[in-house]
Amino acid sequence: MTTPLLEIEDLYAGVCDKEIIKGFNLTINEGEVHALMGPNGAGKSTLSNILCGKEGYSVTSGSIRFKGKNLLAMSPEERAREGIFLAMQYPVEIPGVPTSTFLKHAVNSIRKYQNLPELDTMEFIKMLREEGRKLGIDADMIKRSLNVGFSGGEKKRLETLQMSILKPSFAILDEADSGLDIDALKVVSDGVNALRDGKRSMLVITHYQRLLNYVVPDFVHVYADGKIVKSGGKDLALELEEKGYAEFVKEK
Amino acid sequence: MNNLLQNVKLLGSESPWLSRLRQSGSSAFKEQGFPSAKTEAWKYTKLRELKSKDFIISQTTSDTTAIELPFDCYKICFENGWFCPSSSNLPQGVEVIPLIEAILFHPELHNYICKLANINTHPFVALNQAYLQEGVFIKIEKNVNIKKPLAIISHTEGSDINLLFNLRNIIVLDENSAATVVEYHTYSGDTKSGYLANIVNEIYLASNANLQHYKVQDEAFKANHIAFSAVSQNRCSKYQSFCLQRGANIGRNETLVQLKDEGAETEINAAYLMDGWATLDTTTNVEHLAPHTYSHQLIKGVVSGNAKGVFQGKIHIAPNAIGTEGNQLHKALLLSDNAEVDVKPELEIYADDVKCSHGAASGELDEEQLFYMRSRGIGIEEAKQLLIDAYLDEITTKIDNEKISQWIKLITQENRK
Repeated sequence: MTTPLLEIEDLYAGVCDKEIIKGFNLTINEGEVHALMGPNGAGKSTLSNILCGKEGYSVTSGSIRFKGKNLLAMSPEERAREGIFLAMQYPVEIPGVPTSTFLKHAVNSIRKYQNLPELDTMEFIKMLREEGRKLGIDADMIKRSLNVGFSGGEKKRLETLQMSILKPSFAILDEADSGLDIDALKVVSDGVNALRDGKRSMLVITHYQRLLNYVVPDFVHVYADGKIVKSGGKDLALELEEKGYAEFVKEK
Repeated sequence: MNNLLQNVKLLGSESPWLSRLRQSGSSAFKEQGFPSAKTEAWKYTKLRELKSKDFIISQTTSDTTAIELPFDCYKICFENGWFCPSSSNLPQGVEVIPLIEAILFHPELHNYICKLANINTHPFVALNQAYLQEGVFIKIEKNVNIKKPLAIISHTEGSDINLLFNLRNIIVLDENSAATVVEYHTYSGDTKSGYLANIVNEIYLASNANLQHYKVQDEAFKANHIAFSAVSQNRCSKYQSFCLQRGANIGRNETLVQLKDEGAETEINAAYLMDGWATLDTTTNVEHLAPHTYSHQLIKGVVSGNAKGVFQGKIHIAPNAIGTEGNQLHKALLLSDNAEVDVKPELEIYADDVKCSHGAASGELDEEQLFYMRSRGIGIEEAKQLLIDAYLDEITTKIDNEKISQWIKLITQENRK
């Protein structure tokens, strides 16, 4: 019995007058990991931003339901509290806000929404240390301003840490492997795989197959010119690696 | 002229010296009148509302409100502008004397009082001098370092009467001495009370003296707070100040620093945090009068609603003041479409071989940062607050005293009363 978690139907959307997403359809059920692969400029980031409610994008038609609710009517914070998490390609630096302060506010905002008691500082720090250790994030790093002076790899590890403490039901990984060396890639993908529990779903957005060797998807979709042009199993990623996107881009 | 000058019975009128001072203050105020829109020094801070109000000179009060501060300190307390011995806690072995007592019984004070703050250029200094009576004389002897902060607490009981009160504080640090002075201006009662607190400080730092001067202006939101501090610095002395302006409908914190001998260094940091229709004004005038003197200024504002922030900063470098360094930076965060800041930096450089800089920047909260936090479940208002705290953090961390820094941070985070 499969339960749909995210249902995107015939979505048309863009920025200003420029249409970027043109008839996009995708259903992700509970526990499934989907990979969305496509060339640069296909609109991958636009899709993840729209899913998270970033301002500046307009949806002209179509619908997105999350757990049966109209996602497009929710603010970014409501979406996060409902269980959507976007691991960003370029995490934002916030000077003056310590990483731990930021994470505590995030965790407690979500817990409050879910009617769970808020964590006090002691409980929170304990949890943060435990989860941080698994990802090689030390106490010094979480005291520093959020993402400020972090290397590319550190930023990606911190995104993974956030995912593991916020426990979303649906995570979007936007180019999670960009800027990672092979060791960091291993750490991040171990972190991601630890979160695959049969209930949590993921959408892995990437244009290289490399990451998919570590985070093995259930389904692979080829995304070109604003819509899915081909879907298949994990082998489709290997095929793409070999042939490139040329045939799909030509098709349009 | 409105009723700011009234015939009230003041203490010490039998002293001809004191009467003359008051008389000259009164005449100077009459002569200059209220600053108008044409008065250059007040061109951004409009006093129309103040001018149209009736003020009552505060009468002695027996009620006192004990103000607790979250750090260990000596206290010099004023209630509605009157010295309050019962709530005060004065140090032993250091001269901390109520002003009127010092005027009448400590002739030494005459060397300092009404010497730095000029009645002919500053009408509110003149007004203050016309009522000379309340305040404190602090004198730290040579080689003495008072570790415990001295807190000057001015508390006003807000009511529907518009009180006017004047405080004059004289702070003298002798050679090689050090002290921390905290000024805290607060209120309770009617938040719409339209009182006027008119404060003048005259500060003397002898060679190698070191004063840390922290101020929190947290007056009622319809109140008015006009303050002028004049600082005279001798060789290798150090003045570090921080002022948070938060309450008040019209608030002005003006500082004049004269760096009179080599090696003198001054640091003026300030923050203002406002909404409603308030005008909060930070005016500085740093005069480098000797070679190798140093000044640093950082002022940051957070403005929302229909409020207006004003910064006027002047750095003057005299012809002989070679090897001098003066820098100044004002930044403001505008949180609404109607928020406004007016900035007037002025550099007057008459010497070669100096390093001087000024800068001003204003902006809004960063959309990318806000989105990032919201995408993690943090509500928009909470996210904004975190960003504002982060914005002010740069300046509150400049406060050396950890406990005072924490206290000031908390005040910036409190919601408006």
